[in-house]
Amino acid sequence: MRGLAIKDLNKIFSTNCGDVTALKDINLDIKKGEFVTILGHSGCGKSTLLKIIAGLESASSGSIAYGETKISGPGTDRGMVFQEHRLLPWLTIDENVGFGLINESKTVREKLITDHLKMVKLEGFHKAYPHQLSGGMAQRAAIARGLVNNPEILLLDEPFGALDALTRIQMQKEILKIWESEKTTMIMVTHDIDEAIYLGQRIVVMSAGPGKIRSVINGDSYESKDRGSLEFARIKKQILGYFFEEENINPEYMI
Amino acid sequence: MNKKVNNFNVTGLILPLIILLAWHLSVQSGMFPPAILPPIGDVAMAFLNMMESGLLVGDILVSLTRVLRGYLLAIFAGVTLGTLMGTSKHINDFFTLTLNSIRQIPILAWIPLIILWLGIGEESKVAVIFLAAFFPILINTISGMLSTPKGLVEVAALYKLSGWMTFRKVYFPSALPQIFVGLKLGLGISWVAVVAAELIAASSGIGFRISDARSMMEPDVMIVGMISIGVLGVSMDKALTLILDRITPWEK
Repeated sequence: MRGLAIKDLNKIFSTNCGDVTALKDINLDIKKGEFVTILGHSGCGKSTLLKIIAGLESASSGSIAYGETKISGPGTDRGMVFQEHRLLPWLTIDENVGFGLINESKTVREKLITDHLKMVKLEGFHKAYPHQLSGGMAQRAAIARGLVNNPEILLLDEPFGALDALTRIQMQKEILKIWESEKTTMIMVTHDIDEAIYLGQRIVVMSAGPGKIRSVINGDSYESKDRGSLEFARIKKQILGYFFEEENINPEYMI
Repeated sequence: MNKKVNNFNVTGLILPLIILLAWHLSVQSGMFPPAILPPIGDVAMAFLNMMESGLLVGDILVSLTRVLRGYLLAIFAGVTLGTLMGTSKHINDFFTLTLNSIRQIPILAWIPLIILWLGIGEESKVAVIFLAAFFPILINTISGMLSTPKGLVEVAALYKLSGWMTFRKVYFPSALPQIFVGLKLGLGISWVAVVAAELIAASSGIGFRISDARSMMEPDVMIVGMISIGVLGVSMDKALTLILDRITPWEK
């Protein structure tokens, strides 16, 4: 089955200092059920790319399609989780999780909410307000909201970027588990190299100004999921090489 | 929430007691003649007399009715227009210059023209109160709408919420605390406006009573009228706080 197909995609922002090319000639195919991480500096356009996939932004040229349908706006086949949890402060956790389920009947809604809160281990917090949750818990609720209407793709925009290091590793493990059980296609934007290698079956490395795909690295082997393995270190070194090319030429003789 | 209500702030009572004491002492010392500053006992007597004759309750009811009519109209107009201006740039551009200019005119400057147009009946008082309370409500509603986090609006777009649902679920609850700031300011100004209107042209109401007491040289009646306005204003402000707490349980 066909997944997500991005062809010759460009995005140009008009600012008062002239046009800025945020994304240039992006070509990327993502298979159904795949976990792809997109890695790059802040400002390389990776979040813009994710927003275009979500339908929140439109491309300046090129095409983007999911299956047979062109993406021209948001849709329930795609869920999204942001760096800030973006839960509505005035809604309880279950109302927040059910935010996208307006058209469902009450019983279906409640069952879906309960199931997804259980999935992210937030049972018992149905009636809490977002400000009563810790950062990690709020982000879990956001993941539940992203998955509750059973999207085929979940877009994750640096979802663990604001969490402390230990919580982040915990959340990475949990998102992997959810991915394995739900079979949702996951596309995650991050600037954390370890996270990109640990989670991604493929790692899309982007360069900035204008945002381009630099390389796509295969990170799907068993070893690459072990942070202590040689394979993990090899991929990390390869990625660092892309980002710090100039310094890599002859670091020993610099002094 | 209930804790907040029961937890009455005793510290706030110290200053009123000091003022009462200073008042009492300065009358005792003979610093002011009773015709300028009446003893507390006289004011209390005047209060009891006015309660007994029904005069005070009548005046309060007249003024309160005027305030409520003008204020509720101002809430309706201010929140509606403020919502439109705060969510649509076109509507905002269309109204801002005009409304900002009108806002600069002090409410007292309106009164002669309003009396000319609407006479000295109820309509003119309601109009004065409406004009006074409208702007703080409008401006705070606009600013509440404008400060709605863009990220949350994006979430609504992600789930394809209609314009109306986005307003109900995102803009309105987000703006609510700021709207209430406007409601409180508007309420305070409503009392200013009603008394100003009644001082100038009226034959009833608290403002009229105070002005009438001036021509009769009854400072005790004036003070009863003033204190009544203060107590009423504080009570209504408190009521608004309680309503806000009730309808925004997510705010700590």
